[in-house]
Amino acid sequence: MSFLTPLFLLGLAALAIPVLVHLTQRERKSVIAFPSLMFLKKIPYESVQKRRIRDWLLLALRLAALALIVAAFARPFLRGSEIAAAAGGAREIVVLLDRSYSMGYGDTWSRAQRLAGEAIASATPADRVSLVLFADNAEVALRSTPERSRAVAEINAAAPGPGGTKYGPALKLAGSALAESLLPRKEVIVVSDFQRGGWQPDDTLRLPGGTVITPVLVEGASGPSLALTPATLLRTRDAGQPERVTVTAGVLNRTAAPATKVPVQLEMDGRIVQTLSLDVAGNGSASVTFAPVSIAATTTRATVRLGLETPKGVAVQTGIAPASSAVDALARDNVFNFVITPSAPVPVTVVTPGTRGDANLYLTRALAIGEAPRFETSLQSVEALAGDAANRARLLVLNDVAVPEATAVKLVTFVEGGGGLLMALGPRASWPQGREAWLPATMGAPVDRTRGAAAKLSGMDYGHAVFEPFRAPRSGDFSTARFYSYRGLKAAKDATVLARFDTGEPALVEKAIGLGRVVMFASTIDLSWNDLALKPVFLPFVHQLGRHLSGFREQPSYLTIGEVLDITAAEVAAGATSSASRSEGNRTVLAPSGQRRDLAMNSGSSASSVALELLEQGFYEIRVGGREAGPVIVAAANVNLAESNPERMDPKELVAGVTGGGAAGSTGGQDVLPDEAQELAQRVWWYLLFAGILLLIAETVLAQRLSRATR
Amino acid sequence: MSVHQPIPGARFVDPAVLARIGNLEMVAKTVVDGLINGTHRSPFFGASVDFAEHRGYVPGDDIRRMDWRVYARTDKYYIKEFEADSNSNFSVLLDVSKSMSFGEKIAKLDYAKTLAACLTYLANQQRDRVGLVTFDEGIVDHVPPSAKHMDVVLHTLDRAKAERPGHLVAPIKRLAEHFGRRGIIVVISDFYAEPSEVFDAVGLLRFRGNDVVLFHVLDPQEIDFSFVEPSSFEDLESGDQMPIVPAALADQYRSLVTAHIEALTARASQQQIDYMLLNTSQPLDYALFRFLSMRERMAHTR
Repeated sequence: MSFLTPLFLLGLAALAIPVLVHLTQRERKSVIAFPSLMFLKKIPYESVQKRRIRDWLLLALRLAALALIVAAFARPFLRGSEIAAAAGGAREIVVLLDRSYSMGYGDTWSRAQRLAGEAIASATPADRVSLVLFADNAEVALRSTPERSRAVAEINAAAPGPGGTKYGPALKLAGSALAESLLPRKEVIVVSDFQRGGWQPDDTLRLPGGTVITPVLVEGASGPSLALTPATLLRTRDAGQPERVTVTAGVLNRTAAPATKVPVQLEMDGRIVQTLSLDVAGNGSASVTFAPVSIAATTTRATVRLGLETPKGVAVQTGIAPASSAVDALARDNVFNFVITPSAPVPVTVVTPGTRGDANLYLTRALAIGEAPRFETSLQSVEALAGDAANRARLLVLNDVAVPEATAVKLVTFVEGGGGLLMALGPRASWPQGREAWLPATMGAPVDRTRGAAAKLSGMDYGHAVFEPFRAPRSGDFSTARFYSYRGLKAAKDATVLARFDTGEPALVEKAIGLGRVVMFASTIDLSWNDLALKPVFLPFVHQLGRHLSGFREQPSYLTIGEVLDITAAEVAAGATSSASRSEGNRTVLAPSGQRRDLAMNSGSSASSVALELLEQGFYEIRVGGREAGPVIVAAANVNLAESNPERMDPKELVAGVTGGGAAGSTGGQDVLPDEAQELAQRVWWYLLFAGILLLIAETVLAQRLSRATR
Repeated sequence: MSVHQPIPGARFVDPAVLARIGNLEMVAKTVVDGLINGTHRSPFFGASVDFAEHRGYVPGDDIRRMDWRVYARTDKYYIKEFEADSNSNFSVLLDVSKSMSFGEKIAKLDYAKTLAACLTYLANQQRDRVGLVTFDEGIVDHVPPSAKHMDVVLHTLDRAKAERPGHLVAPIKRLAEHFGRRGIIVVISDFYAEPSEVFDAVGLLRFRGNDVVLFHVLDPQEIDFSFVEPSSFEDLESGDQMPIVPAALADQYRSLVTAHIEALTARASQQQIDYMLLNTSQPLDYALFRFLSMRERMAHTR
């Protein structure tokens, strides 16, 4: 029952009036003068109050009449879906079966299958059944069929996956399936363990009006429940020694019972390296640190595992331990995979004009400092660039170099393939005529500021990645650097000016070309035209420029299922040169389950990266198609730790969230008529008003009779 | 002393009928003469006279009044002259508070006025000095006791009206200071006050040596509480209203009134004060008869 003008229901407060009249007016209408109330006041008041309402029938008539009239003014009506639900008929049933990895705890999944099967068995032959399997994502396993046996077969064939629980996508999918249905009754049956982490209230999520949601709670098995938290890696590098890493793993105990002597083992490339044991208090956590191990030259697949030794090969492929060796009934959160990658340097080629070998001293020294990333600098002559030298670098720095035509052609290819180019302009810098449109800016004549005040940098674009670290106050002052000369620049339309001189002329201009970037600096990167290299901001500035132009992004040692792997960034981090990461070959992905598939690279796209969504627990391997020479990217995928949290929500909360607290939403396709039209068609108010008037007449007759009887 | 003939049928006349007679003196005479006619042995009749002197017998004197002992000694006829004891003060304290205006057939005040007139007349016949005080929350009218104030008393009684709320204690305490001479004080009221308050006040009169008589005048409805319809009851004096369902309260009310009367009776007995409950539905002379009988009885016991 809905109301068109529900505010009129406030008039129900008027129901108090007849009650008050019955309680007060009756006594007030005849007043008897009495000498003194001295004795009457001594009698307890309750005995006076109790028998006030005598004409209950009269009062009931008055109240009913008033309530009916108020209800008539509120214009009640039944929505189409409500009428349909009341009338009965065939049902459109959507069964949402949770297959998150927490459903794999003990025999939870078999019970869930049985309950889902029972729900489907309750359908009549006239009903239609859909089956949606959901975890992080939802997929329709079976769409609106009257064949219940098929639905049961699909349920029996399904298995819990590595994903976490998310009810939103599943309910949206159910909503769209129900909206398409023409059957009068709609029902959603949610079979799940109802983990609290899976439900985020969403105001936009509404099922069609009249939809009945039936939550079916699958009780989990009792017993120990341990989970591994993400391992932390501490890298150390001693002089002359290979890089070493110390792995620290944490263990969470989700139950109140303490766990003692839990074996924790560290595996690397399928071999068990160390096995330790630890005690975890009830509802507590503990950590264990393994002895440092040397990092191999290639990427190492590492796994921390709770439990006993696992047969070799299984861990490498799937990362999942057999149930028999696990410390609890939920195996997926007992394994944590990660990769240990040797920190590969970013190859940088600094091009010198030849005559000034010491001109790049400050730049090369600055780049030599730092670990993340480590820049490996090499010096080349501009002539060497015409050969194959550029292909071995991710970043080229041209410091006051006159670029000949042949080199320019190479540079264009280099940048469009994903390389970075930094052009510092001095008196000798030049670019072939006719190719200037390719550059971010057109070079002008040198501007001499040796007389008077030197130029300063101002107007930095602190929102840009190069200057973002300097955004906060006292995070680097560029204004102290003095520029005695610089080349006048005229920025291209599609270029971005990152910094300007105090005269307003561009100082740093960037342009994205193909998969790479070009940055032009209007002055030299040595001491010949400015003293920037002597300022404290020089080192972080150069590092930021190098990191940005080379496309370097620090790669995490692990990802969570459902996250996306940026393959290009991973290749850069793995030390790929621009030619190796160029879009000239497809990537082949080897999933943890052993499935192999190719990722098509869209060479025509300006996008500088390609992504891969991780859907399985274990190690993904990505190779450049047709070439084994490129770096092999290995990514570790782990289950979402939140899913191992057994805390449950009240299923009613979910039902209320979707149906709006019992009042079914009106987003469905059935309630196509506006409320006014439905109310107008039904005219319930008229009947209510008529009934109210009849009751008032009856009340009048009764009141008169009672009055006569009293006289 | 002349004896008037009673008006036939005037005895035990309905008070409501008496109330319609405007002349209080006539009412009083009607009631009292009728009463005395039937009670020759009233203790008031000749009981309060003392020997004054002897005088010589003249024909026509009542030979019963001849002093035979003097005749035996002197051989002469002497008549004993008695002097009536007319020095006693007789005052009526009449409550004229608003609550006295209540009454279904006769207002309590009218009944009380008639009673006061009768008593005054009776006392005046005894050669007592008669006075009257009407009071509510204060003193309204004050007629000092005097042998010549009979008319003034009746006139004052005639004018008395119940208009204001009353308070028993304060006016009586003030009056106690004025009654310097011992006498008979009759208090006529409905006594809507706690018994302790009532006797705190009238006790002052009693302690000064007065003979105090309390007439508690109540309407039958005040005693029986025979109301039926649920109504709002309004206090005549304070104006307070209370919604009342009489059927639910009558028993408790009656028991409270009975307890009040019993308490007044008990306290009166303790302080040697005459107390008498008068129901306005009862004939006035019947009330007077009961009163005189009680006085006689008390006179024997005291």
